[in-house]
Amino acid sequence: MALDLPTLSILLLGFLVVVLATGVWIAVALGLVGLLAMVLTTSVPVGAVLATSVWSATASWTLAALPLFIWMGEILFRTRLSEQMFRGLAPWLQWLPGRLMHVNVVGCGIFAAVSGSSAATCATIGKIALPELEKRGYDQRMSLGSLAGSGTLGLLIPPSIPMVVYAVTANVSVLQVFLGGFLPGLLVMALYSGYIIVWSLLNPAKTPPRDPPMAFRRKLRESAKLLPCVALILAVFLALILGLATATECAAWGVTGALLLAWFSGTLTRRTLLESIMSATRLSCMIMLILAGAAFTTAAMAYTGIPNALAAWVEGQNLTPHKLVFALTIMYIILGCLIDGISMIVLTAVIVLPMVKQAGFDLIWFGVYLVIHVEMAQITPPVGFNLFVLQNMSGRDTLTVAKAALPFFLLLNVAVIIITAFPEIVLVLPRLAFPE
Amino acid sequence: MIRRVLDGLYLFAGYAAGGFLVAIFLLMMVMSVGREVGLNLPAGDDIASWCMAAMAFLGLAHTFKRGDMIRVGLLLERLTGRARQLAELFALAVAAAFALYFTGYAVGMTWDSYRFGDMAQGVLAIPLWIPQTGFALGLAILGLALLDELVRVARGLKPSYEKDRPTSPDELVERIASGESL
Amino acid sequence: QTKWNLPAAYPADNPHTVNLNAFAKDVADASKGELAITVHSGASLFKAPDIKRAVQTGQAQAGEVLLSLHENEDPIFGIDVVPFLATSFPQAHKLYQASRPAIERKLGQQGLMLLFAVPWAPQGIYARKDIDKVEDLKGLKWRAYNVGTARIGELAGAQSVTVQAAELPQALATGVVNALMTSGATGYDSKIWESLDHFYDTQAWVPKNVVFVNKAAFEALPKPTQEVVLKAAAAAEQRGWKLWEEKSQWYLEQLAAKGMKVAPPSPQLKDGLAKIGEQLTADWVKKAGPNGEAVIAAYKKM
Ligand code: NA
Ligand code: NA
Repeated sequence: MALDLPTLSILLLGFLVVVLATGVWIAVALGLVGLLAMVLTTSVPVGAVLATSVWSATASWTLAALPLFIWMGEILFRTRLSEQMFRGLAPWLQWLPGRLMHVNVVGCGIFAAVSGSSAATCATIGKIALPELEKRGYDQRMSLGSLAGSGTLGLLIPPSIPMVVYAVTANVSVLQVFLGGFLPGLLVMALYSGYIIVWSLLNPAKTPPRDPPMAFRRKLRESAKLLPCVALILAVFLALILGLATATECAAWGVTGALLLAWFSGTLTRRTLLESIMSATRLSCMIMLILAGAAFTTAAMAYTGIPNALAAWVEGQNLTPHKLVFALTIMYIILGCLIDGISMIVLTAVIVLPMVKQAGFDLIWFGVYLVIHVEMAQITPPVGFNLFVLQNMSGRDTLTVAKAALPFFLLLNVAVIIITAFPEIVLVLPRLAFPE
Repeated sequence: MIRRVLDGLYLFAGYAAGGFLVAIFLLMMVMSVGREVGLNLPAGDDIASWCMAAMAFLGLAHTFKRGDMIRVGLLLERLTGRARQLAELFALAVAAAFALYFTGYAVGMTWDSYRFGDMAQGVLAIPLWIPQTGFALGLAILGLALLDELVRVARGLKPSYEKDRPTSPDELVERIASGESL
Repeated sequence: QTKWNLPAAYPADNPHTVNLNAFAKDVADASKGELAITVHSGASLFKAPDIKRAVQTGQAQAGEVLLSLHENEDPIFGIDVVPFLATSFPQAHKLYQASRPAIERKLGQQGLMLLFAVPWAPQGIYARKDIDKVEDLKGLKWRAYNVGTARIGELAGAQSVTVQAAELPQALATGVVNALMTSGATGYDSKIWESLDHFYDTQAWVPKNVVFVNKAAFEALPKPTQEVVLKAAAAAEQRGWKLWEEKSQWYLEQLAAKGMKVAPPSPQLKDGLAKIGEQLTADWVKKAGPNGEAVIAAYKKM
């Protein structure tokens, strides 16, 4: 059967949407689209391609960092890290307009440097900050919003699960994408904190008075509680810089550090250890199956020739890069409302990456751009993991939390505009480490 | 009896997957620390990759049963009663058919590796069918779990992957702690 | 019209890929569009380790792969990476001629047909310090990525280190690895001068990429088209050898221009390596048996 490529593309896309909508698991839906594409266009043995491409995508050294970063996060989640973070940061952030609201931003930012997940960051900081802020009479809407927004930093500040997924999908260095996310992460923190300051200045009545002042020595003593976490971040970083570990092995050092930290804090029991292993395994298996489905779809698409045709089409359109980015931004915001971040990356990679490459974008930059969109997806209704987390923690409904998070969603858009205008913010660190 | 055997199988494979996760961790630490003390693990990278594949596939059935496999629930979650049951049956039938088809070819590939005498390509010459067995086996167990679930739902039982909404913040934190969502 | 997919592992701008595209174009032109070959470069269809298997099982009709990747399957596939057996392009070409029948026979048993083979640049030693004799390699963190490099490291007393190709730039930058053997071309492509500053042009071996086709797919072509493919293959082979011979000198000049010390091995180093080479050739013959011995004998006679 001879189908022209546009008809085929629309057919496949329609099929994907229908299959996803009927509640078929995402990895299976991806596999089915690949099957259909190949059956319609080639005479090669489809099942053999399925087995080969999936095996080769899964048996991967670089990918092995993924379950380890997940495990590290699972171990830390079971420690008392969040409580220590709040107590350690609170005394120092009192003087800023907005006061303890900044603990959400800074706490999530620091926790993000040890966790690769957004919901875990949001829940870890939230479970302690939310009640503390409420007790002191902070505006609930603002504290919910800033928590929802700051939790997403877990994805932008390395380590990051979506970044590993992207790096593997796009075949670029995980380490470079990690490095690329660092400064944008700080940028987003600055935007959030800046907004909190402006908002508090405009609404002075809504900020409660500061906590009773603390002696400097006591402040220091409280902050010493931040040390284990900082030490862990430093240890992983040093292992890399000193040539002790390769980028992938860093994940193993992270696990070692997390285990030590949990052990010293007395939270490492047989039960928590086993739980952390099993939940890391499940989460990894879920992601790996989606990646496997995507690997097969990628191969199937290569047989159809659609990605090349699309890249050629983009070239023919003479779209300015900024127009392309604008179009992609709209698409990702819509997708982000409906599906989760990992699926967003793998579902679009096959089609979008050749176009983006054709338009002359750096794939490291694009990875960071995409991860910021994944961050947005965490706080847009109806499907947003951070919204679910906070909905359950605060007892407010999803829509209320989503409204509270709206300013932070917009700030993420501002971040996208800034990194598009100044791509150096993303690229300076990766280039410093790997000069072109 | 059959119920207990099947559930035991999923759980056992899940634990095996967890074991491979720990193995990846240990391998990487041995490689990293080993370099400092002059110890090299030949083909350590290959072995870690195979552990990765074994982990990814052996844990699938357990992951699925525990409800950690993701899908777009937007429409599905709005259905109730008979309509919901039919929708679940459809999704399960499609997934089971796909998993069994996939299993067939994964087994075929492993068998071909054995037949062709395919070897790993690094420093260690290990026959490839050995690591590929975990891949084929994991998929087979997933296929079984999907069929099992299909029968359950057809008999009018609630799918075991379906979770109730958490009732309290603590329960939610507990669930995230057990790896429910990203 | 017949359509073939040809998966290849190297990026689009790699000389091997450029040559493959030229081959595909020759075939399309000469067959007047009867046979269209799509080259999938950069491992976009299959990754390097899976290409041969994919062609064997009909998932693709043809493919390009680094032959020595499959040396664990049969020692004959590793003959071009036996260190110091063939240490220049002319010698490598002779070794190719001597081993070609055996390679074709083995590929034939796997349902494959050899179309052509194109060399890479010869392999030299990169390090961060002077290497005047084999003993200078002692204790260096030496990247071992196949049987030959692992054995060299072992015999020279270097500390073998396992690092994946994807992580090599970072491993070099942070000192995880501080000595390795690869070609001038690969060193240039990975900007190796940022971390290592010595290159010794030992011409230790000349590895080859081979392009093969699924035998059944080839036989399904009409006779004239078969002729076209074979003719284009012969031309591509000749083009490839000539190109790499010219190019490998250019790469060395570029390394020197980047401030690296590029030198031939000292006589002492050469002798030491030659001894290791004898040992490794003996190792190989032991593995490869009488067939292998016959190939070596034929090569030595040429
Ligand atoms: Na993070
Ligand atoms: Na969303």
